[in-house]
Amino acid sequence: MVCCSEKNDKDDPTTESQSSKQASIDKTRRAFLIALGTAAVGVGVGYALGYLTKPAEVIRETVERTVTITRTITVTPTPVPTPTPTPIPGLSGAASRAIAGVRDLLSRGVIAPGTTIRILHVAGSRANLEKAIELWSKYVPEVKIELITLGTEPDVYTKAMSEAVTKTGAFDAITIFSTWLGDIVEAGLARTLDDFYTKYDPEYIGPCAPIEPLGSYVTMYKGRRYSLTLDSDVFTLSYRKDLLTSETYRKEFEAQYRKPLKVPDTWEELIDMAKFFTELRLTAPSGGRVWGAYFYLEPAFAAYITWFNIFVEAGGIPFDLETMDPKVDSPEGRYAFDIILRLKPYMPPEAISAAWADLYDKFVKGETVFTAAWPSLTKEAMRPTSAVRGNVGTALMPGVEVEIGGRKIINKAAPNPVNWVGIISNYSANPEVAYLFLQFATAPDIGLDMVLTGVILDLFRACWFTDPAYRAKSAEGYGEEFLDEYMESIKISYPDILIRGGTEYLSKLTTEVNNVAAGLKDPEKALSDIAAEWDSITKKYGRDAQLEAWRALAQLFPDNVKNVWRAKGYMK
Amino acid sequence: MSREIPKSIKLLSTLPLNIVLNAVLIIPFAIMIYLAFLKWSPAMGIDWWMAAFIGIANFIRALGDVRFINALTNTAIYTVAVVSIEFFLGLLLAYLMLEEFIGRKAVLSLIIYPLMLPPVIVASVFYLMFQPYGPVNNVFLRAILGEDALRITWFLNPRLAFTALIIADIWQWTPFIFLILYSALSAVPKRLIEAAQVLGASSFTIFWKIRLPLIKPLIIVAVVLRALEAFKMFDYAYLMTGGGPGVSTETVSLYIYRVSVLYTDISYAAAMSLIVLVMLAIIIRLFIWYFFERVK
Repeated sequence: MVCCSEKNDKDDPTTESQSSKQASIDKTRRAFLIALGTAAVGVGVGYALGYLTKPAEVIRETVERTVTITRTITVTPTPVPTPTPTPIPGLSGAASRAIAGVRDLLSRGVIAPGTTIRILHVAGSRANLEKAIELWSKYVPEVKIELITLGTEPDVYTKAMSEAVTKTGAFDAITIFSTWLGDIVEAGLARTLDDFYTKYDPEYIGPCAPIEPLGSYVTMYKGRRYSLTLDSDVFTLSYRKDLLTSETYRKEFEAQYRKPLKVPDTWEELIDMAKFFTELRLTAPSGGRVWGAYFYLEPAFAAYITWFNIFVEAGGIPFDLETMDPKVDSPEGRYAFDIILRLKPYMPPEAISAAWADLYDKFVKGETVFTAAWPSLTKEAMRPTSAVRGNVGTALMPGVEVEIGGRKIINKAAPNPVNWVGIISNYSANPEVAYLFLQFATAPDIGLDMVLTGVILDLFRACWFTDPAYRAKSAEGYGEEFLDEYMESIKISYPDILIRGGTEYLSKLTTEVNNVAAGLKDPEKALSDIAAEWDSITKKYGRDAQLEAWRALAQLFPDNVKNVWRAKGYMK
Repeated sequence: MSREIPKSIKLLSTLPLNIVLNAVLIIPFAIMIYLAFLKWSPAMGIDWWMAAFIGIANFIRALGDVRFINALTNTAIYTVAVVSIEFFLGLLLAYLMLEEFIGRKAVLSLIIYPLMLPPVIVASVFYLMFQPYGPVNNVFLRAILGEDALRITWFLNPRLAFTALIIADIWQWTPFIFLILYSALSAVPKRLIEAAQVLGASSFTIFWKIRLPLIKPLIIVAVVLRALEAFKMFDYAYLMTGGGPGVSTETVSLYIYRVSVLYTDISYAAAMSLIVLVMLAIIIRLFIWYFFERVK
């Protein structure tokens, strides 16, 4: 039917002029439709391009805003009005100022009742933060705090870096590893907090300030404050006191090894003791086997801690202070692997594959004799459900015997990995309120309640160890022995690689340590691979900039470590 | 009277969809290609469109990256292993399910049940199952090996860890191949089978000479789709082994994920993704040509 009707139209001469007219109309219509189509494509492409360039506008806005603030400070040095520090009954100064600050913002209409602050954090800190939120809502119920919880630590980094790229403003504050601070600041996500520190004084000076130098180096980057500390994470050696002080085992060990069974001073001593207890084949209260030791070798993020600790104690320096060349492929690096491989047979096999929390689980069940972890391990071991409650000893990390000027000394150092800190997003709609919540949560009084309630956040203010009232409360959670040993550990603590690319440097190290521990790679090969990987990271971010940052960071290592570096000619 | 719709109208009516599709498909893809030629990480403090152009440096780096090659090798072995096993199991199950028996419908539902689960759940369950005191050691292997079974640590031995990943994949994805092949086999005309039977062909001959050639186009669909999915495997490796011990079970998706989000080396990750894409396209094309077009 279609073909015939078309044919008829064409054959009929009377319709010729009509056809011509029709063709003209069709042509005009075609032209119109083409023009319309072109316009639509143009609009579509324009919209797409506009969408793609949108982040650039955000950046321009941010830059303009920064310039305005700088001018205000320079040209008209009017001090930012500080809210009247009205003491609020039952609250410390820092907490009072935080609450007064929020109330002031509410009363001036800067924020509306019902404002919600969103905090991105890892699951392990949920109970800690919930405690702080519970206390906060007693004073400012008008401002809600919403927690966005992620399962594992690397997830938080991933999400934070995604936010740095997409700039959505979905989170007002994020709790991060201090190791990530360099990356996160450079990516433009973390807002500088210098102005809020001045305006609200979070008590970072004085007897209740965060423990130094930790408090400064985990919150500062290139001389400016970017975070509030939520935690301190210096490692200590934890051990089962009941086994180490048992008269029977003391005699047996002395007979077997011709030396006393005591808290090990060196890794060499610890290997003997770990071997001794492993070979006893004891059964833990849980029914599981008791292993002599458990130190981190797992692949997700923590394996570097053990290797790096032994390496630093042996006098190793991660980078050359003149050239930024990696110095891991060295006798100290090989020694660290040697210790790990000799200790491995006395550790539970899961040390190589299980997540970091497995170490906690096994120690709390009484299945390991010696272990090293964050302070929260002791907190967990003190809980009523712990099988080792009352039997946990704490000591400094085992050291390495080194020679300085012909004299042998035991060099000890303690890792300070992670250190959760809170940053405020540059893309937050309410940065000031988000900051005030973090100041409230980390204030001397509220902060201690928060730390004692949950799992992964630990004691970070000096007065919690020294002030009698606070100390008594801290001791309930951690025990007196721990508090003393922890203060000593802080003196010999060293930071993570807190420079740009820190996560990547440590992540590559973790992979190689796990490779060696799993027997998949020769230590020599692993060390040369780490050196090559580290060098490529350094090149990526620029050797000069990385060297400058490393030189500043190296100064934060404890004096005893720096003395060994000087004796070996690594440091002038 | 009916008239053919002018081309311009057709074009215009599909224009919105074309714009959306192109925006959704082409623009991100173009950005990915562009990123692969840059030196960019969010930690550099600049936006991607400001990053330095470094030509093919990322591609050269990838080809010399031992870990990338290791991940590619792992993924290739994994893909070949799971697709082959799943294909034979799926085909066998599909063939058996052609027969009528009591409870056939219930069995059919049970077979496809794993497909409905999110891979993240399957990975978590299999992670627990393969623990030293998990049911695999404690129930199945203990019955054969006795107490020695409890000493098997699946995730500490590279081969065992790899095997655990393969088992999880087979458990979940065999039903996918089964489903396609079962529907294909069911659609084979009965008259052809009956004719062959009348002529005295054995069951094996009927299967080999009649059923299999007739379902060939659907076999290719099943195998190609499954191979593409298996090559992108991330969930099981991430949750069950974390790519370990060491990097012995690290797949290409897991490595690219780490490079892009953990090391924030996004331009390098884009280059690796492009290499994988091109490689996969070539392999799949060769596969189709070798098994199907070559014969024609």
